[in-house]
Amino acid sequence: MNKVQIDEILNKVNGIKITHKRKTRIRVDVDADSLPTLLELIKGRASYIHLSAITCVDWIADNQFELVYHVWSYEEKCLISAHTRIDRGSEKNPAKYISVYDLFKPADFFERDIFEMYGVTFIGSPRMEKFILTEWNGVPPMLKDFDAEAYVQETFKWTDYNPDWLQELTDQGGGIAVKPEDIRTAGNTHNMSTHRERDKAKAAAVKANDKMQGWKQ
Amino acid sequence: MKKELKIKQKERTNPLAHVFDDFIRFCQSKSLFMLHYCTGCGAIELPPAMTSRFDMERLGIQPMVTPRQADILLITGYVSIKTLKRVILTYEQMQSPKYVIGICSCTVNGGMYWQSYATAKKLNEYMPVDVYIAGCMPRPEAVMAGLQRLKDNIRNDKKEHKGSAWKDYFKRYDYYLGNQQALFGEDWQTPTDIIAEAKLYGLETEETYGKHTKLLEKHQTPLLPQEMRIK
Ligand code: SF4
Repeated sequence: MNKVQIDEILNKVNGIKITHKRKTRIRVDVDADSLPTLLELIKGRASYIHLSAITCVDWIADNQFELVYHVWSYEEKCLISAHTRIDRGSEKNPAKYISVYDLFKPADFFERDIFEMYGVTFIGSPRMEKFILTEWNGVPPMLKDFDAEAYVQETFKWTDYNPDWLQELTDQGGGIAVKPEDIRTAGNTHNMSTHRERDKAKAAAVKANDKMQGWKQ
Repeated sequence: MKKELKIKQKERTNPLAHVFDDFIRFCQSKSLFMLHYCTGCGAIELPPAMTSRFDMERLGIQPMVTPRQADILLITGYVSIKTLKRVILTYEQMQSPKYVIGICSCTVNGGMYWQSYATAKKLNEYMPVDVYIAGCMPRPEAVMAGLQRLKDNIRNDKKEHKGSAWKDYFKRYDYYLGNQQALFGEDWQTPTDIIAEAKLYGLETEETYGKHTKLLEKHQTPLLPQEMRIK
């Protein structure tokens, strides 16, 4: 099947955008409504029978989830990644989407995983329940608005680095260069938006610490 | 510094008691069976430490496959909260005296997973740890040094100080149970009756009991012998 033929099949779906990345990869963008049609079409007409993964991206600024269905064809040796966006929902009204379990049985596994990590309910999926995080009762942890660092700070205690037993090592020129507490307070900047800002804050804390301790090389 | 907890000790009348004790400690330190609970990546350093290259057996330490016949519980790496439950069950099944070694920085303080919502941070909040071997991951030499340290601790444990961390679990059970309940919820119960064991070993103190053990008693279902039946 060549490029023209696959394009012809894909173009049967309304409002589709096709990007040929390379010979073995095609990206398509579709509406949430027409995604099941697309999957059915490429499974039935173009030998794309292996759903190898469903992934989810949390676009918190757009208030949307992006779902990506990766479907592989053994005959074409080509992967179609179908991207679609659904409404992110809210705490009271969680995001919903239709399951593709009737088309691809492995979807059970992936949909359950996304349900657990992002809280997207897939209607028609056989087991929408806890999967790996059996001990977890909080919000779905992969959501961008779940602050893992703040959660950790209030749930766990830290080992304190007791200078009594460290003194001996420090006298010999060893010991701890930067105390974990200092990194942690610098890292306690979970409202900072970029990694670069965080890194800057951390670097500043390290520098301050160096000065304080008069750390010698 | 932790305060000394008093236990009711039996009167010892044999004048040679301390000689026997010393001998027993000597023998104990020379023959240890180790259960390696490979929770994290640090486990990869164990095969060379156990086998011909570094050869743990020359220290008298052998791997063992079941907790009921092991002396040492080796935790190699990060402990996720889900695993921690299993680790505690394993630990409680072991017979005393038992020793815990935490390999890897992750068992000390969460290591590189300190930000993770899913891993426990300090292993010694949930069970008494004898020796920590820090490093990400520690080389087999460090593992050997740590095991040697444990042996020395057991051998020189005259004042019941370093080599008797396991007693702490019975003496301060309320503390450990409290930490476990904080993670696993209030209806947490293990299939081992620690308080009864503490009584058996004569290791109850006032800190064995507390508000957490009271909570446990409230919902504790009695442990019944399992029915033996062939289907
Ligand atoms: S300390 Fe390093 S090697 Fe060890 S379990 Fe943690 S991440 Fe892995």
